[in-house]
Amino acid sequence: MGLVKYRDALELQAKLVECRRQGSISDTLLSLQHPPTFTVGKRRTVHNIVSSPEVLESIGAEVHYTERGGDVTFHGPGQAILYPIISLREAKLGARRYVEGLEDTMIKLCALHKIKAKGRMTKETGVWVENRKIGAIGVRISGGGIASHGLAFNINPDLNFYTHIIPCGIPDKEVTSLHKESFLQLPDEDPVTQQLIKCFIEVFGYEDVTWKTT
Amino acid sequence: MGLTSFAVDELGDVVFVELPEVGAKYEQGESICTVESVKASSAVYAPVGGEVIEVNSSVKESPEKLNKDPFGESWLVKLKVANHDHLKSLLSASDYEGLVEQSKH
Repeated sequence: MGLVKYRDALELQAKLVECRRQGSISDTLLSLQHPPTFTVGKRRTVHNIVSSPEVLESIGAEVHYTERGGDVTFHGPGQAILYPIISLREAKLGARRYVEGLEDTMIKLCALHKIKAKGRMTKETGVWVENRKIGAIGVRISGGGIASHGLAFNINPDLNFYTHIIPCGIPDKEVTSLHKESFLQLPDEDPVTQQLIKCFIEVFGYEDVTWKTT
Repeated sequence: MGLTSFAVDELGDVVFVELPEVGAKYEQGESICTVESVKASSAVYAPVGGEVIEVNSSVKESPEKLNKDPFGESWLVKLKVANHDHLKSLLSASDYEGLVEQSKH
């Protein structure tokens, strides 16, 4: 979908969640990037935003308060975002197994680029290369077991943005990206994003997939 | 009302519980509280319509308790039932267990 403002993506997700709940659409995946945006989760851990609103405004970043799980994070160009709008009930997935599937999606993508990444870190959900975080997760499960929000994978964002927050509330760990971790020549972002989507399809076992570009 | 042990297992370690205000009224099926685990924030629904008469603040302070004793100490909300007919639409413990077994296949 290209670069989509956070608020617009939230509105679109809300509509899709309602359609999915009513069964008028099947499981749907949004693939997009955001302009520089900081987001806060349901727990409202605002203390993990280190810089003042004025500083954030001066660097051209927005701040949004969301209903997803997880702590404070950054989204921006160079970071691939996947928002799967799926019926966990129909997929017979509990929250934990769904989140593990999102971790596996990103771990699989890393492996394609010869990077050894891991998930299943207790109290530190997400995908890590050693102790550097390369992928984040934040999910919302609404009425009828419909999941929204999803994952954010760092292909090549400007990592300096992360200095304005304590990412995910974890103070002493670095944030990294595919570009930073890879010694190989990387393809452009678009093919890497396509690969990420294919990893998702494989991990969750989807068979009949329709691709659309907007 | 609270969560079943099946539900907490499916959620994973609970890190956050948001409870309703005492005195607030909810319809059957309306989202009454939120539970967060592994970065997933999940809505919990009122099984019957009613008014909140008490909430379990100890679970709010120590959310991980929910994983240990969901049927006992870690109840979430006490509701004054508005319409007793709603109770008839609920599953018995054995019906629920049957559903859980089925869902595993």
